[in-house]
Amino acid sequence: MNSKKLNFKIVFTIFLALFLVALTVNTGMAEEGAEETVAVEASGDAGEVAEAEEEVASVPYEEAEYRNFFGIDGRLIVWIISQLHLLFAAFVLAVPLFVVIIEAIGAKSNQIKFDNLARELTKLLSTAFATTAALGGLLAFALYGLYPGFMRYMTDVFHPYMFVYALCFFGEVFFLYAYYYSWDLLRTGTGKWVHVFLGVMLNVFGTTLMMLANSWATFMMAPAGIDMKTGAILDRGAAFHNFLWMPVNIHRIIANVAFGGFVVGAYAAVKFMGSKTEEDKAHYDWMGYIGNFIGLAAFIPLPFAGYYLGREIYSASPVMGNIMMGGAFSWTFIIQAILIGMMFVGGNYYLWNGMARIKGAERYTPYIKYINIVIFFCFAVWLTPHNLPLSGEERALIGEQYHPFSKFFGVMAAKNAVVNLLILSTFFSFLLYRRANKGQTMPFKSHGNGAKITMVFTVGITIAYLAWYAMGLKGQDLSEVVKPYMSPLLTCITIQIIALICALFLTLANKGKLAQTLLFVVAASISVVYFWYYGFVLMEKANMVLRFLSVTQVSIVISTLIVNTVIDVFLFKNAKEVGGIQWGKIPNRAQYALLLLCVAIVTLMGLMGFIRSGLRMNWHVYGFMQDKSAGAFTPSIAYMGWVVSLIVFLFLAIVAIVFWLGSLYGRKEKHV
Amino acid sequence: MKSFLKSAVFTLCILGFFVFVCMYVTGLSGGGGGGGGATGINPEAGEKIYWGDGQCHTCHSIGTSGSATRGPNQEGLAARAEERAKEAGLSSGLEYLVESIVNPSAFVVEGYDNIMPKVYDAPIMLDREQIQAVLTYLQTLGGESNIEAVAKFAEKIPEASGEAVAPWLPPIDVDIKEGELVFFDESRGVTCSKCHVLNGKGSKVGPDLTGIGAVQTPEYLIESVLKPSEIIVKGFETMYLMTTEGMAYNGLLVSQDEDEIVLMVDEDGVMEEYVFYPDEIAQMQKQEVSIMPGNFRDMLTTKEFYGVIMFLLSQK
Repeated sequence: MNSKKLNFKIVFTIFLALFLVALTVNTGMAEEGAEETVAVEASGDAGEVAEAEEEVASVPYEEAEYRNFFGIDGRLIVWIISQLHLLFAAFVLAVPLFVVIIEAIGAKSNQIKFDNLARELTKLLSTAFATTAALGGLLAFALYGLYPGFMRYMTDVFHPYMFVYALCFFGEVFFLYAYYYSWDLLRTGTGKWVHVFLGVMLNVFGTTLMMLANSWATFMMAPAGIDMKTGAILDRGAAFHNFLWMPVNIHRIIANVAFGGFVVGAYAAVKFMGSKTEEDKAHYDWMGYIGNFIGLAAFIPLPFAGYYLGREIYSASPVMGNIMMGGAFSWTFIIQAILIGMMFVGGNYYLWNGMARIKGAERYTPYIKYINIVIFFCFAVWLTPHNLPLSGEERALIGEQYHPFSKFFGVMAAKNAVVNLLILSTFFSFLLYRRANKGQTMPFKSHGNGAKITMVFTVGITIAYLAWYAMGLKGQDLSEVVKPYMSPLLTCITIQIIALICALFLTLANKGKLAQTLLFVVAASISVVYFWYYGFVLMEKANMVLRFLSVTQVSIVISTLIVNTVIDVFLFKNAKEVGGIQWGKIPNRAQYALLLLCVAIVTLMGLMGFIRSGLRMNWHVYGFMQDKSAGAFTPSIAYMGWVVSLIVFLFLAIVAIVFWLGSLYGRKEKHV
Repeated sequence: MKSFLKSAVFTLCILGFFVFVCMYVTGLSGGGGGGGGATGINPEAGEKIYWGDGQCHTCHSIGTSGSATRGPNQEGLAARAEERAKEAGLSSGLEYLVESIVNPSAFVVEGYDNIMPKVYDAPIMLDREQIQAVLTYLQTLGGESNIEAVAKFAEKIPEASGEAVAPWLPPIDVDIKEGELVFFDESRGVTCSKCHVLNGKGSKVGPDLTGIGAVQTPEYLIESVLKPSEIIVKGFETMYLMTTEGMAYNGLLVSQDEDEIVLMVDEDGVMEEYVFYPDEIAQMQKQEVSIMPGNFRDMLTTKEFYGVIMFLLSQK
């Protein structure tokens, strides 16, 4: 009951704050009218008043297109509020996704610690939810107040979906509170699974909400279903299901999970450092590990989803694509590379520190320095710009526009290669972590037919995907000059398929480690070494094949990751343990890695928000409705840096306050 | 609490690093750009559009300038256009270029996709004059520009399809007259006319601002007043000169020939010309900092500042 009261108090406080803000805004508006009234009153007798009133009444009504916020550029206000709303929304949408999985694992394995963790995370969720809703309301007010003309049009196009949005919101609220408050009631037996079902429904409504809002944002980037000259709505369904809708949905869901995981990790890190007892330390260490695991697991496929989104942006509008990768925004991707590089380094650093609490891990520590070298090399290549501005003297010294070595690292062929290497290295780190305390493994056949079926099914699916993609490549309508350049891609896919089949047989023959090694070697040789070189060949001779090269590269790496994960699961199932994991015995410096991951991903989301929105340049709806406000210019990167930092600071400060409020109620029960 | 404070400090350090990187990258990439420079139908203006608003460079590189490979490299384009025009039965290389811009699908170079957008349509929306400027620039790539010839194709180039952008307005109400007063008021330290000529009034230390409103954007003017060193108009760069006696001078280069170098130097608010002979010059170097003071932010009120900007924009 106390928890209920606390939540009501929080909601009421936020409502009060919003009400006061709204009141202030209204006061400002009322004062404008009031000034006129006072002037009329002061002007003399009743007749004059009547005359003046008539004059006032005859003033024609003009619809405002833009307003500013008490002298501050409306765009800045909308930028800050929308990004804050998006960050909170990402948290409240992502956390339920893995909370339900954690709860289900707890229910299935009968381990109360998973149930407790799920519950603790849901507590954070319920307190963050009110803030998200309040910011959403504020964003709507800001948009309708500061961009009335634009919002008029958006409402015209999307008003039916806006009602669906409101309904989904009610659905999400209902299931969130039902999920949270029924935890004790539905604790055991079938009730537990009913509880899990409530969590699933919470996710269904949450994800639908996100997808609805995504369609509005992507419509602004790639409008569909309207007359591009007049704006007349021709097909509302097409406007909703526009070209970039699904790529953004996929990218956001994965990014949200990574984001949620890292925020939870940072929460655990702060709690760990403040813990007084060994029990608390163990609990928060474990929570930090889970948060980091979820974050990294989602973070690894994120570059692929990002690449898919980028490719679709380019397909939707080559001009926008060019602005993104070769124009005004190309330098922001250098900053993105720095942030992502920091995250990969941070994630690996945490994993390596985590190995200190596992007996038996010392067998693998000598490899870490080599992984470190690879990661820093990848990081360096990724952030090398191609067209590094050189002075006339420097150019004269090297005899050409670009540096003779660094120019090879600056192009996409090199960057794609190192991103794949970075992902493979991090995945390798994770495999080392997993096997740190494992000794002798069990023969594969001891896992039964289920294991065999899973292996065959996994390899079958990945091969089917690769074969399907290869058929697509073969069917491309290309000129005779370019066509021969596709053959190496097909050959590489065939080699990977053969490697996958070999890996399957090796695993079934109890040679799982060899199978994993084979897949790693083949993937790295093709996707990193050969495609790095072949990318340059294509740049020179058949530029249009480059896009197929990148997807082939990604497909080969991802098939390796999937199959190697499944092999690893069975390889170390029921394996002998060399030593246990001593939760809580992780150095404090590892907690700073968790903090770094959290701050970096929040900043990254702020940066990517700026890029996605900024790509429209001076358009509200790209190619149809121009932004004619004073703020319709692309700010400098430095300015963006300050604004994004302010947003990140505000977000983290609010999160700290919200989590602190949430922690006021009682103390958790520790079960680790 | 201690651990929370440590975490907060650590977070601020990361954010500080992020801001530092953003500022560094801004410097490295040439900042906001400002979009200033030449206007009208000429190769200089065309070059600006090619590498700026026209976004041509995002697909076409020129020699070793730029790194785009989506479209053909434009080095020696004018000469190539002549050959292609002959093959296509067109009258001149210029006609080939015009045709390629007006209807990008007309001639797609082998080995490249048919992806070039119509630059007069949304979202690029170059107007007719801008496209003509780009054409004059393209003529210089392996040939010579011929503005008159380009002008003859004006009717063939469609006008930008979108409606005109509403005029820029300052965020607060200002009086243009007040801006004019500030510009010419010699009793204050911020007198613009002390260095700029406007409609024949003022000194010729900096660029002539007559008709500036017709050729520059509000963003450019704002940036030029607040950050004078961001874009220095050609011919108005500050020169650093050190004599053999060790005396250092910063000023504008008025003239330079074999016999003498004349610098305009600010002497306590008064601009004076100094003549130097080659044998007394130890070092001379172009500076990246403008001679124009960079402290107008402190010397003008917000109202005065926007007043001056509006006054300059009204000069058409």
